[in-house]
Amino acid sequence: MKPLEKIAGRAWVFGDNINTDQIIQGQYLTLLDYKKMAEHTLEIPRPEFVDRVQEGDIIVAGDNFGSGSSREEAPQVIKEVGIRAIIAESFARIFYRNTFNIGIPAIQIPSICDYVDDGDRVVIDIELGRVTIPSKQKTFETPPLPEVVREILFTGGAVEWFRKRTDRSC
Amino acid sequence: MGKTIAEKILGAHTKQGEASAGETIEASVDLLMVHEVLGSRIIPILDEMCVEEVWDPNRILVVNDHWAPAADIDSAEIHRRNRDFVRKHGIKHFCDVDCGICHQVLPEMGLVKPGDLVIGSDSHSTTYGAFNAFSTGLAATDSAIIIATGRCWFKVPYTIKITVEGTIPEWTMSKDLILKIISDLGSSYATYQSMEFHGSTIDRMSVGSRMTISNMTVEMGAKCSPMLVNNHVEAWMKERAPHIEWKPIIPDSDAEYVEEIEYDLVSDVLEPIVALPHSPENGRPIDEVDEIEVDQCFIGSCTNGRLEDLAIAAKLLKGKKIASNTRLIVTPASRETYLQALKAGYVEIFLEAGGIVTNSTCGACVGGHLGVLGKGEIAISSTNRNFRGRMGHLESEIYLASPATVAASAIKGKITDPRRI
Ligand code: SF4
Repeated sequence: MKPLEKIAGRAWVFGDNINTDQIIQGQYLTLLDYKKMAEHTLEIPRPEFVDRVQEGDIIVAGDNFGSGSSREEAPQVIKEVGIRAIIAESFARIFYRNTFNIGIPAIQIPSICDYVDDGDRVVIDIELGRVTIPSKQKTFETPPLPEVVREILFTGGAVEWFRKRTDRSC
Repeated sequence: MGKTIAEKILGAHTKQGEASAGETIEASVDLLMVHEVLGSRIIPILDEMCVEEVWDPNRILVVNDHWAPAADIDSAEIHRRNRDFVRKHGIKHFCDVDCGICHQVLPEMGLVKPGDLVIGSDSHSTTYGAFNAFSTGLAATDSAIIIATGRCWFKVPYTIKITVEGTIPEWTMSKDLILKIISDLGSSYATYQSMEFHGSTIDRMSVGSRMTISNMTVEMGAKCSPMLVNNHVEAWMKERAPHIEWKPIIPDSDAEYVEEIEYDLVSDVLEPIVALPHSPENGRPIDEVDEIEVDQCFIGSCTNGRLEDLAIAAKLLKGKKIASNTRLIVTPASRETYLQALKAGYVEIFLEAGGIVTNSTCGACVGGHLGVLGKGEIAISSTNRNFRGRMGHLESEIYLASPATVAASAIKGKITDPRRI
């Protein structure tokens, strides 16, 4: 397992119930190229997002982030535009799994939106389970991840994890 | 402590033979259903994983349903990849663009039985809870791992017990009940949990009406929603899978529930419910909903495109014309449903009323084709999600309702109580 580096980036703050159709609408799902699809990431709640997001940014959201469809395209397009972590007050089940599967940490902090504004710097230390908002002098400790989720994340996603576990190469 | 249905079924699929809520376990899957996501996402992941063989070609169902027949070149390519995959790996169960929506055809093909652990690459895979199964949705990467190994890790869910007693009055349907439950509890109420359904109402319900309920529990975040076996499920199994043995899974009397919720439809009579844009949790009794004019009335989807849904719509529409300001689109959930509707005369009723009957597909439900909404258009729909932009333009609006309410609204051209027709 390789250690996950500290993640630090600007926050994009979203409200409650950002569902998978808001992240990427059904009409784009037949696009086979994630780059093309990612041009529409979060275009319903924040049309300016795609033009202004930068590599290393972090999404901070309210309750029930990623509800709706099972589409793995939702975390994939978020990854594609450069987001490195998602913190939400709570996540929908399938989205939560998908995020780890593609190697992005999904961190649950119940009242996070009360402490973060758009553009705030957020520092995440996965190893220690710690999230800091320096400008607000606020630190959160997060509960440890289930072992299998940790393994998947620290191997860089479920594809790598599977190949290692089954000793496959091609 | 006793076990819930979810714990019993998951436990029976592990090596140790037991599972308790809160644990993380590895379980073997009885059946995996994949649709277009196979061609678009899973096959590239299988390549990355260096997987050349599927774990068991007899335990995979591939369905081309979301854009069926292909709506554009991209979906045609995805379908082509799925067909190649089916041929190459000798996949036993395949439903190409001619056969219907995954959650309808899987039970029709007799591929789910009580006690099964079924996974689908689609969030509405909770539908098979109607058959006393543990079924849930996962996405591309997890599906790829199951294709390779037949196994998957799960967190064993805690269970909320929902008991419903009483009858569903005329012109109201199980759709109204589940819309009411979602609106009472909220869209993240059951996240990561199993919703186990009990009570005389559920026990009397037809297979189709039960499927509507299990289908929509995911709109509360539920992981699965198993029901107890009833007479209708028994008859279904006899017809669809006569040579397959199964045993009903019954929860222990001292099973532990995180919550027990009761609905008493005797004292609190169920009314038609309409969920306002843009969330299924925005349900209101129809009396409290304005008579909003609708551009499109849609009856279809894995939620409400079954024969009983078409039957009630046909009963309302017989000898009537739909209003000139609206359009009615009916999409039977499967070819089998379509044929039955044809024989029963429903298709003729819809066409004579001025409606459109399409082939069986997800189509309008996912904003794919055959009924996409334009800018500013308003739809009333028997589907399960009214998220912003779900059925088309992001400035369109969707009201969710039962097929009866949709049919009544088509006649009047505005949101209408079916009890008033
Ligand atoms: S009918 Fe709609 S909800 Fe059902 S599987 Fe198809 S797209 Fe999904």
